[in-house]
Amino acid sequence: MKPPPFVYHAPGTVAEAATLLHEAGEEGRVLAGGQSLIPLMNFRLARPGHLVDITSVRELDYIRAEDGRLRIGAAARQAAVERDPAAAERAPLLVEALGFVGHEPIRHRGTVVGSLAHADPAAEIPAVALAMEAELTAVHAQGERRIAASEFFTGPFSTGLETGELLTEVSFPVWPPGTGHAFVEFARRHGDFAVAGAAVLLHLDGEVVDRVAIALCGVAGTPVRATEAERRLLGERPTPAVMAEAAEVATSRLSPASDVHGSSDYRRQVARAYVRRALALAAERARGGTR
Amino acid sequence: MTDRHRIALTVNGRPCEAEVESRRLLVDFLREDLGLKGAHIGCEHGVCGTCTVLMNGESIRSCITLAVQANGSSILTVEGLAGDGRLHPLQEAFWDHQALQCGYCTPGMLLRAHELLQENPRPTAAQVRAAIASNLCRCTGYQFIVEAVLDAARRLEAGATGQGHEPAASRT
Amino acid sequence: MSVTHTTPTPERELRWVGKSIRRVEDPKFLTGRGGYVDDIVLPGMLHAAVLRSPHAHARIVRMDVEAPRRLPGVAAVVTGAEAAELCNPMPDFGPAPDKHVWRCLAVDKVRHVGEGVAVVVAESRYLAEDARDLIEVEYEPLPVVADPIAAMEPSAPLVHEALGSNVAYQRTFVFGEVERDFAEADLVVRDHLRWHRSGGQPLETVGAVADYDPATGMLTIHCNSLTFTHFLFMLANTLKVPANRLDVRPTPAGGSFGSKFWAVKVAAVAGMLAKKLGRPVKLIEDRVDNITSCDHHGSDRIYDVELAVMKDGTLRGIKFDVVDDYGAYIQFGTGTHGNSLAQCVGPYRIGSVQYAVRAVLTNKCQQGAHRGFGSEVTNWAIERMVDLAARELGMDPVEIRRRNFIRPDQFPYFIPSGNVYDSGNYEGVMDIALRLADYEHWRREQERLRREGRYIGIGVISCQERSVFSATEFWFWFDEPAAKVTSAPESVTLSVDPTGGITATLYSNAFWGNSSDTVVAQLVGEEFDVDPHSVNVVYSGSNRGLPATGPGGSRFTVMVAGAINGAAARIKEKARKVAGHVLEVDAEDLEWAEGGFRVRGAPDRRLSLAEIALQTYLFKHSLPDEIETGLEASKVYDHPYTTMPSDDRSNLGVFYPFVGNACHVPVIEVDPDTGAISYLRYVAVHDAGTMVNPRGLEGQIIGGTAHGIGTALFEEYVYDRDGQLLTTSYMDYLIPSAMEVPEVIVGHQETPSPFTVHGIKGGGEGGRMMTPAALSAAIDDALAPLGVRCTELPATPERIRRWIEEARARGGGTMSG
Repeated sequence: MKPPPFVYHAPGTVAEAATLLHEAGEEGRVLAGGQSLIPLMNFRLARPGHLVDITSVRELDYIRAEDGRLRIGAAARQAAVERDPAAAERAPLLVEALGFVGHEPIRHRGTVVGSLAHADPAAEIPAVALAMEAELTAVHAQGERRIAASEFFTGPFSTGLETGELLTEVSFPVWPPGTGHAFVEFARRHGDFAVAGAAVLLHLDGEVVDRVAIALCGVAGTPVRATEAERRLLGERPTPAVMAEAAEVATSRLSPASDVHGSSDYRRQVARAYVRRALALAAERARGGTR
Repeated sequence: MTDRHRIALTVNGRPCEAEVESRRLLVDFLREDLGLKGAHIGCEHGVCGTCTVLMNGESIRSCITLAVQANGSSILTVEGLAGDGRLHPLQEAFWDHQALQCGYCTPGMLLRAHELLQENPRPTAAQVRAAIASNLCRCTGYQFIVEAVLDAARRLEAGATGQGHEPAASRT
Repeated sequence: MSVTHTTPTPERELRWVGKSIRRVEDPKFLTGRGGYVDDIVLPGMLHAAVLRSPHAHARIVRMDVEAPRRLPGVAAVVTGAEAAELCNPMPDFGPAPDKHVWRCLAVDKVRHVGEGVAVVVAESRYLAEDARDLIEVEYEPLPVVADPIAAMEPSAPLVHEALGSNVAYQRTFVFGEVERDFAEADLVVRDHLRWHRSGGQPLETVGAVADYDPATGMLTIHCNSLTFTHFLFMLANTLKVPANRLDVRPTPAGGSFGSKFWAVKVAAVAGMLAKKLGRPVKLIEDRVDNITSCDHHGSDRIYDVELAVMKDGTLRGIKFDVVDDYGAYIQFGTGTHGNSLAQCVGPYRIGSVQYAVRAVLTNKCQQGAHRGFGSEVTNWAIERMVDLAARELGMDPVEIRRRNFIRPDQFPYFIPSGNVYDSGNYEGVMDIALRLADYEHWRREQERLRREGRYIGIGVISCQERSVFSATEFWFWFDEPAAKVTSAPESVTLSVDPTGGITATLYSNAFWGNSSDTVVAQLVGEEFDVDPHSVNVVYSGSNRGLPATGPGGSRFTVMVAGAINGAAARIKEKARKVAGHVLEVDAEDLEWAEGGFRVRGAPDRRLSLAEIALQTYLFKHSLPDEIETGLEASKVYDHPYTTMPSDDRSNLGVFYPFVGNACHVPVIEVDPDTGAISYLRYVAVHDAGTMVNPRGLEGQIIGGTAHGIGTALFEEYVYDRDGQLLTTSYMDYLIPSAMEVPEVIVGHQETPSPFTVHGIKGGGEGGRMMTPAALSAAIDDALAPLGVRCTELPATPERIRRWIEEARARGGGTMSG
């Protein structure tokens, strides 16, 4: 299991990387951590003619807190984000989710932005991006554009990125103090992709929910935002009954694809249980006012 | 089409320069080009961890890392763990606890444990288990590995740097 | 910390046997110098890659290999049709080898996904895979036989047309008065059980490096599978070389768990290529190769079982009707059912057995060996039925077992199939386990936690661990077998050098992770009073080798102990003569003590082994004429206890006589939302006779338990109805990590075998042979309020969840709280 041949590029700047990708056209792929791409190449399921390694682009290796957002550059490794105090402060949901991404050796190489670009529907970070209403920055030879996470994921392993475009940043808006967060997932084995997982942010005004976001992974061709369930919770006290009902609403219309790790029905059942658990944990944290 | 690149890196403390094909996997570079056979090939898709080496002190899967991506880095393989003919305390502890059977996962497991003890010199059994869950072992059921890592932590804390490497000596 | 409990055994005079010494082979593995097959580099070596079928069943219409042959760096592309000219079919121990012909690469048609159809040889594995991508194959898909039940229909498409049926073997054996026992029973419990296929999946795949010398005609193959050396003439026949020009040399195996037992296909392909090209060729399976085409998938069985019981819990008779899906070939015949028949009544006094087996061929990878070799499935089936009987009778699972155990005073005990259980104390093992598990405490906790709505389950099972097969289990299937039965020997050569240093030469691929070197060193240390770490253990190639069967069936330690004992006796006999001559006493007046011979009653008059060795090597002319120079002896140790079957096969004779026992007690919790399992406690108590290296045995037990957890909950080679294999990577074939297995509390009982050297029994498979039954029992127990019964393995979270739903739909009780 060895990768097919390709031309390797290690640009020093974003502009250079964008030009290389533009020139490579359909043959070009961005290489960040490579933790998904290289296995696919070893299986010879991916055969890019050109790999543009952006981890050598120093200007993309950052984790910054600014403008009420957490900004993560495309070369920032998952492990670095996991350890970053600003990330823990501003996006604890992301940090909690990162603990479920593969294993530490994978996170030493893998990048947050790369996981978004790969768009595995069972992956954790895309669900977090959806829940947090993250914004992505895509650069191409002629300029750049911003894409809302809600617009970005178009199907299994497919995104709104155009040929020649390079994701350079994801930025997460910061939720107000007192927000409860929870990322929980069920996987067959520790570190595996989720059978189903849930990302929740929940804020209370006194006893009642005044802001909430729920996103799921592993239950559809893309990560899914559960807006109807969110509406069900708004203005309510998050009692077990209300949360169970919200979990039911969040999952009842899903029809996940079946695979060896779980049938459609099973994934939906697990998702329902895990949305309920995530809501309970987030509510508990919101009440405690701590993270 | 053969796309080749010059890389310069440090392997087990020694500088090393080579020209490699861009697609060459780091594990093949280490095993075939440098003759360091301690990194083993198990699955070649990043799951089993038997190819684990440390890059700049961090564990990575060398079967899903390109040699060109290691340019400029510092790599530690199991061959660099023992020094001057003396086993590393982790290796001693693995030996004493029978933390290996077929030995195939052992180099990767040792390096992963080494990294853990660098970060967390006094881990709990649960922390060791969580850390080594990145590396599959088909033989041991992991229990003696956990015991060995905990024992190595105690030895390192007590100041062990490596005992006499006397493989032929008997110790019961 | 692991907790190890050993029941007190009488003080023995053994110095090294029974000591948990550090393993002598470990330094090389700890330092990355293991010397595995993929570590071998020969000058001018080429690399091979096999093209595999994407179809489960298809005719090969056309193959175009011109483009890959033109690719720079490619030395050869060999198609299946060409391979059929270069090679004879693979060695095959199946029921009708000429009618289910197995070749190293498929010819004309493919019979399973992953079957090799061509092989490329190039300067590197990278180039070989590039060239492989360029091979064009046109397939004509054929109807697929994926379901073993449908495969038995007369109208089913045939996997092998020449066989005329997909049923490769079928027979019903009756042992004892089974109809009488069923007629007299108060209760007959019945169930339908399904055991899906899984496999050894060692982290190191099968590999070979072959080297052919056209000048001498010598073909050398380094590989990680060298077993049954006395059958290697069959591989020589496959490769069309004279048997005395084939040398198979073993390398340490990075795990096997059965899957490297006579795994000769990779060696055959590499050998074929080296011979064709006159250059060394390396062929290492990658993970996809191994999962799809290792020839060692495990048992894949569908059972209907009936157990006849009395009201008081007495077990009377058992009937098995089993369909086993062997896949596309059947290389070892139905040997895995020989394993089943070796212990088909478990540890119980069940008086009669009916055993109907149908071995079915389908479009899947063929079965081979998987830790337990089929006996682990029978253990599961028996224990499932005993638990069902206990449930129906309202008996405690401990109580029904106590009532039926074979008692210590009944050994050696002949079971209805004819096999013997040599020794045991099953109740003793179970009592230790219950004590270590704190069984009564957990029963109380279970009740308390049930009131909180939690699903806690305790499993208690007791199963057999047969060890040391004799070859009859591959042979007694037919009334008139094609040949006489062979033995299954193991051999050793012990060489004492002129300074007294000892080298032990082994002849099979003994190292699979099973501490063969340490076991041998300890046993040699025991014979000669030397430090095991001073013993040099080396491996011979097959060409000058003695007959050796290798590990498998937990036989190596027992067999090599016999061989070492025999070879040491020969050395001591010669040494005694020499010492008698030098000391000028009658040799009969000498006794062996402290590493030498001394004169009885005059312990100061002695010669050490080193002094004797020096005499024999250098001073031949000072010794009696009949004493030859040197001090070396070999022993071919044949199976120590084999008896022949009856002509009508109503009694199969003794074929698997050294039988251990174990009791596992898991305490688990089931998450009813997901079907996931977590562990509160796990106890495993084993009796494998006299222990050679207790720590080593514990490692096997704990590792085997983890392996069994994989079998019970995680691992399955999943084929869909089109014969597509859906689990071709480690993302989908799930080997448990450290987070999926519990800490195991291990206990031991030592009941020596009366028939083996030192009383040793095999112990390498026991963990996996117990865990599936134990976890199934614990799942049932946890979900007993709902009436769930675990009848299918692996019990994946989804299956458990489905059972919960089905039980609820049936109106199963709900939890309070």
